[in-house]
Amino acid sequence: MIDLKELILAKDNLIPLLRKLKKEARLIAPVKNGYGDTFFTEISDLDTTVIDLDSQPQSSLKPFLLPQQETLAQYTIDKEEYTFTPPEKEQATIYFGVRSCDLTAVLYTDLIFSKPTRDSSYYARRNQSLIITLGCNNPFPNCFCEATESGPYLEYGYDLQLIDLGDCYFVSAGRRKGADILERWGYFFREVGEKDRKIRYQLFLESRGKFTRNVQVAHACRRLQQHPVPETIWEALSRRCYDCGGCAYVCPTCTCFSVDDMPLNKTQGLRLRSWDACTSSGFTRMAGGHNPVDRRQHALKRRFLHKLKDDLTLHGKVSCTGCGRCVDICFGGVDITTFIHLITAAEVP
Amino acid sequence: MVGLATSFGSGAMTNSIGELEGAEVLLVTGSNTTETHPQIARNILKGVDRGAKLIVIDPRKTDLAREAHIHLALRPGTDIALINAMMRIILDEDLADDLFISMRTENFTSMRDYLHRLDLDEIAAVTGIDLHTIREAACIYARSCKSVICYCLGVTQHTCGTNNVQAVANLAMLTGNVEKEHGGVDPLRGQNNVQGACDMAALPAVLPGYQALTSPEVRERFRAAWSVAPPKTPGLSLTEMTHSGRDGAIRAMFIMGENPVLSDPHLKRVQDTLQHLDFLAVSDIFLTETARLAHVVFPAASFAEKGGTITNSERRVQLCHKAIAPIGNCRSDSRIIMELGKRLGCPGMDFESDAEIMEEISLLTPIYGGMHYDRLEGSWGLQWPCWNRDHPGTTFLHKYYFARGKGQFTITEHQEPKEHVDKKYPFTLVTGRGSYHHYHTATMTRQSRRLVREYPEALLEINQADCDKLGLREGELVELSSRRGKVRVKAHITDRVQPGTVFTSFHFWEVPINRLTIDALDPKSKCPEFKVCSVNLRKVKND
Amino acid sequence: MKENFIPERAVIRELIVENEQIHTIRLELLDKTRPFTFLPGQFLMLSAPHCGEAAISISSSPTALPLIDLSIRKAGELTTAIHKMQPGAQVGIRGPFGKAFPVENFSGRSLLFVAGGIGLAPLKGVIDFCLFQQELEEEAAQDMTLLYGSRTPSDIAFQEAIKKWQEQGIDCRLSVDIADEKWQGTVGLVTDLLDGCTVTEQTTALVCGPPIMIRFVIARLSAMGCTDEAIITTLERHMKCGMGICGHCHLDGKLVCIDGPVFSLAQLKTMDVMELG
Repeated sequence: MIDLKELILAKDNLIPLLRKLKKEARLIAPVKNGYGDTFFTEISDLDTTVIDLDSQPQSSLKPFLLPQQETLAQYTIDKEEYTFTPPEKEQATIYFGVRSCDLTAVLYTDLIFSKPTRDSSYYARRNQSLIITLGCNNPFPNCFCEATESGPYLEYGYDLQLIDLGDCYFVSAGRRKGADILERWGYFFREVGEKDRKIRYQLFLESRGKFTRNVQVAHACRRLQQHPVPETIWEALSRRCYDCGGCAYVCPTCTCFSVDDMPLNKTQGLRLRSWDACTSSGFTRMAGGHNPVDRRQHALKRRFLHKLKDDLTLHGKVSCTGCGRCVDICFGGVDITTFIHLITAAEVP
Repeated sequence: MVGLATSFGSGAMTNSIGELEGAEVLLVTGSNTTETHPQIARNILKGVDRGAKLIVIDPRKTDLAREAHIHLALRPGTDIALINAMMRIILDEDLADDLFISMRTENFTSMRDYLHRLDLDEIAAVTGIDLHTIREAACIYARSCKSVICYCLGVTQHTCGTNNVQAVANLAMLTGNVEKEHGGVDPLRGQNNVQGACDMAALPAVLPGYQALTSPEVRERFRAAWSVAPPKTPGLSLTEMTHSGRDGAIRAMFIMGENPVLSDPHLKRVQDTLQHLDFLAVSDIFLTETARLAHVVFPAASFAEKGGTITNSERRVQLCHKAIAPIGNCRSDSRIIMELGKRLGCPGMDFESDAEIMEEISLLTPIYGGMHYDRLEGSWGLQWPCWNRDHPGTTFLHKYYFARGKGQFTITEHQEPKEHVDKKYPFTLVTGRGSYHHYHTATMTRQSRRLVREYPEALLEINQADCDKLGLREGELVELSSRRGKVRVKAHITDRVQPGTVFTSFHFWEVPINRLTIDALDPKSKCPEFKVCSVNLRKVKND
Repeated sequence: MKENFIPERAVIRELIVENEQIHTIRLELLDKTRPFTFLPGQFLMLSAPHCGEAAISISSSPTALPLIDLSIRKAGELTTAIHKMQPGAQVGIRGPFGKAFPVENFSGRSLLFVAGGIGLAPLKGVIDFCLFQQELEEEAAQDMTLLYGSRTPSDIAFQEAIKKWQEQGIDCRLSVDIADEKWQGTVGLVTDLLDGCTVTEQTTALVCGPPIMIRFVIARLSAMGCTDEAIITTLERHMKCGMGICGHCHLDGKLVCIDGPVFSLAQLKTMDVMELG
């Protein structure tokens, strides 16, 4: 994709630029907390908060665009009247320092929440968002975005993409909203020189050599298209899945949710949407107790096939973005990379 | 705890949780780790995936047992016999660590003589495990010098619980698997701060930091700090208190964050005691079944509404931060205690902050001597013993010498559970945590819609063979009765339990299983025998 | 933008107690200006105060609009609450959702309806719709047969409708698993009723009931010569949104709420479905 505009931002100008942008929107960026963990956090004061661009944020943008729990409506029961009122309006938000994998996940989520019906709550937030990504010159230990074709750099989807050239950032505008920033705040930037392009090209080449994990996503996908997965693999994986839901919660593309009503008192309540996980048995169990999925055998079947087979058929792209977060969270050691290793190592029947 | 303290001089995990991953052999006994301690299971499973051998001792085929290289599915209550057999085999195979035994332990000779008198075939019969499998497990454990034993309530909740623990300690000492990284004896504590509660002497016979109540020097130190002399005689254990009876010596109780009306054995006696108290006060975050019986209820703040520290299973003291202000009129536990103390005329109940409380703890409790708030802030905490500000904390215990000097071999003999199966009560009932999704009497977890969805009701684990005999099908109601009471519960057919044994949890008030459990206690630890009692089963006819 | 999870308010105009387990509530939208229509086989997300939502198939025909019937079997928290409701009470509905039965293809076909228990609910809308069509046009579906299995005689739902259908010329055959002393009809599984039926090239079979019943009926129909395209069923799954987003009804790459709930056997055979065993 051809970028709408490309400019160079000196590192010294980054905070001043963010300061300007923050005047008109909420700013969310990765911040390291006192325990050494980096999360996307709302920044209230740029002078006292340090943005951490050196670590992989432990959370993706999911908690912001699809909150762990959100109010879809309030309801009241007054005498016989049963009425619903919509939630409050969303505010404009800039997400800064987003990694390629997480932006890819947002693009996938956009798709899920728009076809065939547009999800109003999601799009209320999404339409108010502006995403500034940071290309990954140094992939993190669990990363395999190259194998899922979702990084380390992006070709489209971002409002702005920053690539760290050492003392400055190579800034590309992929969408109108990003280009507007480059135009409005043009005096923070300088034009791109030939040397900048050369450095960027060099980084593209080098970063691909820095991945430490060999996860054969494409190979696994081919196998899944051609052969059924041996039941022994499902069984071995399910035995190690303890239904904690951790993988689904940290996964930037896991968007399955539940909608429940929570009474506040006798006459009022909230209709809440909250994250759910297809690995839990209650996810598919119907009222009355019947369950079409046998957890002992197929706890993880839906999760892995959805990401690596069904979505490939439906959208032409796997819905794993190679962020590697599930690798650390799964206490049974049956994350998606385990599945990919098993399926690529299995003998073709 | 008493058991390990007697053998080693300290009752806590000798290793750190992270060390389990690096062990070569993991012997897990009486612990359904994946459901009760998932974060510890993570390390065990990682170890297994890296090639460590896993031995699981458990009457039930738990998820972890399915991962095991050897699953020793013993008859409930025969742990000592099994461990003794393993030790005898280790001696026979010449796999004992003689150097360690001679330099670091005492009383080995009598131990050895005792083991040589054992009849292994008889033990195999008692435990229900064939000798070959026991031998294999013993050799795997003894051949590695990085062998860890993890145990939990499946070992301690017996009338011989203390002896069970000592047997485990003997096994570790026999092979020199104690005083090192990746090798040791690790009791997994059941509740998030139960270690801290024990450290702070929520026990009948010690002062904070396990200091002897009988030591004049220690008593004087506390008297000076508290302006009150600590009592000279030990107090009572939990079960002794809740079972003191309607005309018992105890006339008033203050219960904090505990739900004995569901969680203690032989519930009828517990109810009898609590209902006939002159005064009962309960503090909890939800109105528990116990709180309903109280004259006064203090609404307590939850973990998110208060500060302070939590000490976890690996002796790590971690700081908690208040995330939200207490909701409504609830208060933190320390506030409740202080306000109560002030009104009862107790001096010194005027701590202005959690840090000030910690300062007193550091002053009076040597193992917490270096645990200052500023050191705990912004870190993952410190592991005791941490003697002073410069001390980095202790990742594994008993390096170079045991806390009590030398490790003590204590001869432990097999002892049958208090109650035997007989014609009238032909099944053995084992109780415990039934699911990953619920905790204790589920006062908290049943507030979560999602957790309730995942595990909505109590289930009785029962083997297909027993169901066939009783004409029972999946999901049908069974009446369980023991000499003390009865409950009705839905049957869940599974091979997790062996024929003759049934298992259920104490999570659901609708199925108060502790009506059935026996109130026999371990004579030393006073821990009740939750793990074995005899019951009868009867299918409940429809309507 | 329209809020997806805010239901339209509807009021219960009439309550039909089918039996102890099944109540039919006859609803009307409170806002009568709102255009609302549906096709037989589609479902609604029904809200009851403090109980959240559940997917319920519409058991009436669109020809009965503005009244909408929902037949509800007592199974969980929400359905139990609905069973306690009386005419005049308000509920919320979202929808309609899902693919309908291909009623446009039924012209000139013989329709064989096979239902078990509450499974008659979605088929009832089709039957009523086809009866209405018969009056309008000559080309409409002819020759309708209903095979309906219940556990016991007191479990038979929609008795009034069945009586009316018989009067209108539908061949209705009933069976029960367990008979009582008054029962004169067939005792056995609904598949036993198939013994007396003939299947031709003109037959389209519509099957709905518990998964195990669907499995046996489909196998039997195939054996009798029904083609995969001519066997149509409707599936029940746990659902939360109804519009293809929440993921609960995901079925081997498809979503029951938008790709179904009505599927032909030909479609089901491309998927990994428990109803086929």
